[in-house]
Amino acid sequence: MTQPISILLCALGGEGGGVLTDWLVEAARHAGYPVQATSIPGVAQRTGATTYYLEIFPQLQSELGERRVVLGLNPLPGRLDLLVSSELLETARQVANGLSSVQRTRIITAGNRVLTTQEKMQMGDGRLDEASLLQVVQQQGQACHVLDMAGMTREAGTVVSAVMLGSMAACGLLPMQRRDYEAAIGQGSASQQASLRGFALGWEAVQQQRTQAQFLAELLPEPPIADAAPGLPETWQREFPAALHEVLGHARARLLDYQDQAYVDLYRERLRQVLAREQQTAPAECTATQEVARWLALWMAFDDIVRVADLKSRAQRLERVRQEVKAKDDDVLRVYDHFKPGLPEIAALLPTAWAQRLLQWEQRRLARGLPAKSWPLKIGTHSVIGMLLLRLLASLRRVRRWGSRYAQEQSLIEDWLAAVHAGLQQSHALGLEMARCGRLIKGYGSTQERGRDNLLHILQHLGSAAATASPEDRARAIQHAREAALKDEAGTSLDQVLQAHGAPARPLKVQPILWAGRRPRGLTQ
Amino acid sequence: MEVSFSKEIEQLRMGAGETFHGEGILAITKALLQSGVAYVGGYQGAPVSHLLDVMVQAKSYMDELGVHVEACANEASAAAMLGASIHYPLRGAVTWKSIVGTNVAADALSNLSSPGVKGGVLVVVGEDYGEGASVIQERTHAYALKSGMLLLDPRPDLSRMVDMVEHAFRLSEASNMPALMELRIRACHVRGSFVAKDNQAPAISTRQLMTQPARFDYNRLAHPPVTFGHEKLKYQERLPAARRYIEAHGLNEFFAGEHADLGIIVQGGLYNTLIRALQQFDLADAFGESKIPLLVLNVTSPLVPEQIANFCLNKRSVLVMEEGQPEYIEQEIATLLRRRDIQTPLHGKDWLPQGGEYTAEAMAQGLQSWSERYLPQTPVAAQAAQWLQDNRERRLAVAEQLKARGQTLPARPPSFCIGCPERPVFSAIKLAQQAIGPLHVSADIGCHALGTFEPFSTGHTILGYGMSLASRAGVSPAMQQRVLSIMGDGGFWHNGLLTGVQSALFNGDDAVLLIFKNGYTSATGTQDIISTPADAAKLVAADKLQSLAHTNQTIERTLLGLGVQWLRTVHTYEVETMRATLLDAFTSDFKGLKVIVAEGECQLERQRRIKPWLAQLLKKGQRVQRVKYGVDEDVCNGDHACIRLSGCPTLTLKDNPDPLKVDPVATVIDGCVGCGLCGANAHAATLCPSFYRAEVVQNAGLWERLVQRLRSRWVRALQPA
Repeated sequence: MTQPISILLCALGGEGGGVLTDWLVEAARHAGYPVQATSIPGVAQRTGATTYYLEIFPQLQSELGERRVVLGLNPLPGRLDLLVSSELLETARQVANGLSSVQRTRIITAGNRVLTTQEKMQMGDGRLDEASLLQVVQQQGQACHVLDMAGMTREAGTVVSAVMLGSMAACGLLPMQRRDYEAAIGQGSASQQASLRGFALGWEAVQQQRTQAQFLAELLPEPPIADAAPGLPETWQREFPAALHEVLGHARARLLDYQDQAYVDLYRERLRQVLAREQQTAPAECTATQEVARWLALWMAFDDIVRVADLKSRAQRLERVRQEVKAKDDDVLRVYDHFKPGLPEIAALLPTAWAQRLLQWEQRRLARGLPAKSWPLKIGTHSVIGMLLLRLLASLRRVRRWGSRYAQEQSLIEDWLAAVHAGLQQSHALGLEMARCGRLIKGYGSTQERGRDNLLHILQHLGSAAATASPEDRARAIQHAREAALKDEAGTSLDQVLQAHGAPARPLKVQPILWAGRRPRGLTQ
Repeated sequence: MEVSFSKEIEQLRMGAGETFHGEGILAITKALLQSGVAYVGGYQGAPVSHLLDVMVQAKSYMDELGVHVEACANEASAAAMLGASIHYPLRGAVTWKSIVGTNVAADALSNLSSPGVKGGVLVVVGEDYGEGASVIQERTHAYALKSGMLLLDPRPDLSRMVDMVEHAFRLSEASNMPALMELRIRACHVRGSFVAKDNQAPAISTRQLMTQPARFDYNRLAHPPVTFGHEKLKYQERLPAARRYIEAHGLNEFFAGEHADLGIIVQGGLYNTLIRALQQFDLADAFGESKIPLLVLNVTSPLVPEQIANFCLNKRSVLVMEEGQPEYIEQEIATLLRRRDIQTPLHGKDWLPQGGEYTAEAMAQGLQSWSERYLPQTPVAAQAAQWLQDNRERRLAVAEQLKARGQTLPARPPSFCIGCPERPVFSAIKLAQQAIGPLHVSADIGCHALGTFEPFSTGHTILGYGMSLASRAGVSPAMQQRVLSIMGDGGFWHNGLLTGVQSALFNGDDAVLLIFKNGYTSATGTQDIISTPADAAKLVAADKLQSLAHTNQTIERTLLGLGVQWLRTVHTYEVETMRATLLDAFTSDFKGLKVIVAEGECQLERQRRIKPWLAQLLKKGQRVQRVKYGVDEDVCNGDHACIRLSGCPTLTLKDNPDPLKVDPVATVIDGCVGCGLCGANAHAATLCPSFYRAEVVQNAGLWERLVQRLRSRWVRALQPA
């Protein structure tokens, strides 16, 4: 018995799924095949996932005469003929719902991702593994076309629906001819022309399996590191194992750019000591040193207003912005940077004694319920005055060493390195985990403060020799704690892990709260 | 609203013999005109919004026909409108989303059903049930049963749906009962075709006015003592009349089949899915020829006892396919068979899922058990079992594969649009709670309900449209901190003004209400309301980019008129001001109702206005400035605190270009409309200094370009590489 061809389209709100459905219906009608479509648009103008479902009967209505085909409104799991999707996670979702089957379903999917909020909002890297999604999709279809739909859409200057239509038309499953689809799109206006370009690109992509294979190959391995490692002097190469060279090349360049040669030497000396300690414990190993090499470089190049001003006032930065916002050569471009320096940022550049006095004054203000002092600034980096200001700030690099922040960071770095040394002395695993905790340090302001407090707390309570457990157990505890520390801002997961391993939860931080609580009724007010 | 339905309106004008191609809900709209409807009303809501939207825009054609169209304030006002058909031979139709809309309309529907109608009345309800639904999962069927209304559930075939609309009016007139027609989401959006008929101009209409009111007739009031008589009329006259009509006109369809000793009774709306399910086991062909006899109920209430009894007689078994719970139809059939002592075994919810959408897979579960017992000589049961098992196995295999690689697929709920004016307010609420501690937030229906999703996860309860302030009344007296109620302007006018504001003022409640004044009922498709910026304001606005919500002050004036003493209006994108205003409301000594109007026009509507305007300027070679935000990849710290305060679709992640850093950095992709939230958040929350605002001017004037050239020469001289 002839059965209708069933097609499920997945798109995100605003991607033209409705238009695509209309085109398909129109193309089928143009060719004379019975067709029916329906959709679950939901709140479709937004970015939620939406699906459209079509059935096309592959026999001409003219051959069927008066007989009317009954077409369905829901996809049948496993009996789907074509699954087309503009986003890889949505394809995987339908596959996970059991809709596609190896026996029957042809899959045409974008290899591109549009990240969900849940993935984006994580403190570390919450993105799904694309290779896993691809594997799932490829294993559950009779044939699978993975296309760079986003790229083709950009190239054609259209909406992804046109590319999807072209790819469906070319896959050989539908009875309509190319002219039917093109008639459905029409060709009068500029947007119709763009749609036709997108259609053609989608068509060719499916016909040329080879390009798909290339795109897949680009997609699957880890993205290549952007810059090749800058050269490393021979003395360094002799001193450190080859596994470290790439990181060291970047680290050295970073610190030279950040401060000066003396600072680079300090880095090298610190790392040398870690390596020596590691090789005493485990002569064949250098993993702990490798971890330290990365995190130490980033920590030593800590972010402050001097650094930010420097980065924001470079010529290559303005060029990058120009490209990002797609400004043409004869367009006027104005760039404003959002800064909000507070007293801590200023104190960072002052000598320790002055800085402390300033911060104490701030503390007293906060205790009185006053808001923290800060200055929201919008600086026009394209303007002469704005640029002068930034360059002036950047030039403070020379006095950075005398600032309180510098002293504080160096002392914390020494604490961390001491903990790594102590850890390595007891067991390699413990030292390695402590080295990896360097990852917790990043950013500015409250982000940086939170990372630092977490690091110190973990080192103190899970790393110290006083803990009764074996070094291996403590290494595991530290690993769990580090992972938990990256889970939520409030530190709920971290506290749970700490307590599970017998350590105290992080101490409550004193924070002024504006309180407007009401008293229970009946009490005199 | 800025969307144009001119194409759809053209289709409404079609005459006899022309073929209409389009969506189910538009076919229904056309059918209303073919039926000579005199007045149409309703309240917007998916999936039936288009019916009203198109009719409202087709005003000039409606005037030509003499049809009155009203965009009602809520479903109760729409249902009350149907009162016109109690005395007068006017055909009336209203529409809304069910079950929520029917709940709101219930009072008027009861009072309409009791005296009964003279002119045919049809309520087109969008049955928001199953996949894609956005409301509680309940059945409209209960309302038809309790109030004595007709309930139609036509086969999702455009011709049949259109026929059923025409019959519904006649059936309503024959029985004096108001009719409900339930259309599932997929049926509303089904794209098909039918052959049109001419539209009928109503005999009494806005063009043909009545000269005299009806004479006084106490019997037509829903008022005692005649209500006791109405109740008797319902079962003594109206239901029998309806049954006679249904049977005489063959509204329910009987399809014979080779297994004559078996039968399936199915709701009309499920027919196509059932045929597709039967096809899988070779029990039906592509044209709907079923091997099992079918009784398709295009009218699901009232049932026609003789029809059911005749269908069931001499059968080995009958299976009822009835979606949703409880199984009213199956229960009624069981009672009917028992009373007539018909011994045919009856099955339904014993083998089919109790709740949820009846997809082909759900139906296959029932078919499997049923055919195991009644078709043991066929492979049907084995085939169904195999299919269901294959589905289970495939799902399990994928789940395990993902699990082995440590992946779970995150949901993708809808989120605020790019540049939505409501997003910044949720940022401010999140920030305000850092200063005053966690709050109880009473949420509401509308776009702002998207604030309950990540990254904001804000809101404790949703009690109905416009109910947020009222639903706090029991919480706040027992809570130390004040409670925050959030309401949209849609909800405010739909219900919130009376159930919330008036009640809070009357009781002197210490409450905080935040009203999103975006100018439209945006979640249902940006329909206009009383506080929508006037067309005149849109016309005179020199800068088409700006929000025009402030040009309509109806909400503020209404609140002041009611006696609200603490009222603040804040532009939503000013996150810091909004945060400060919230803190003020929560710490103020003022003990009464405090209202914050969060003003910012719906970005969707703004963009629909802006895009053609800019395109036109560019075409003419005139100066156009666009704004885009961006993130400096080498300054971004990879913590994503900005995303936790925004969730904007264009603020996303990319691989960290820094070879030393591992966490992905934030990035702003194409599509950013430059709303300014990124900058406002960077300041209000003291985020990392990686955000920049870029203003790109196309077709700049000579002077502007000259300044730019001089300036960049100086800037370049100052910059290192």
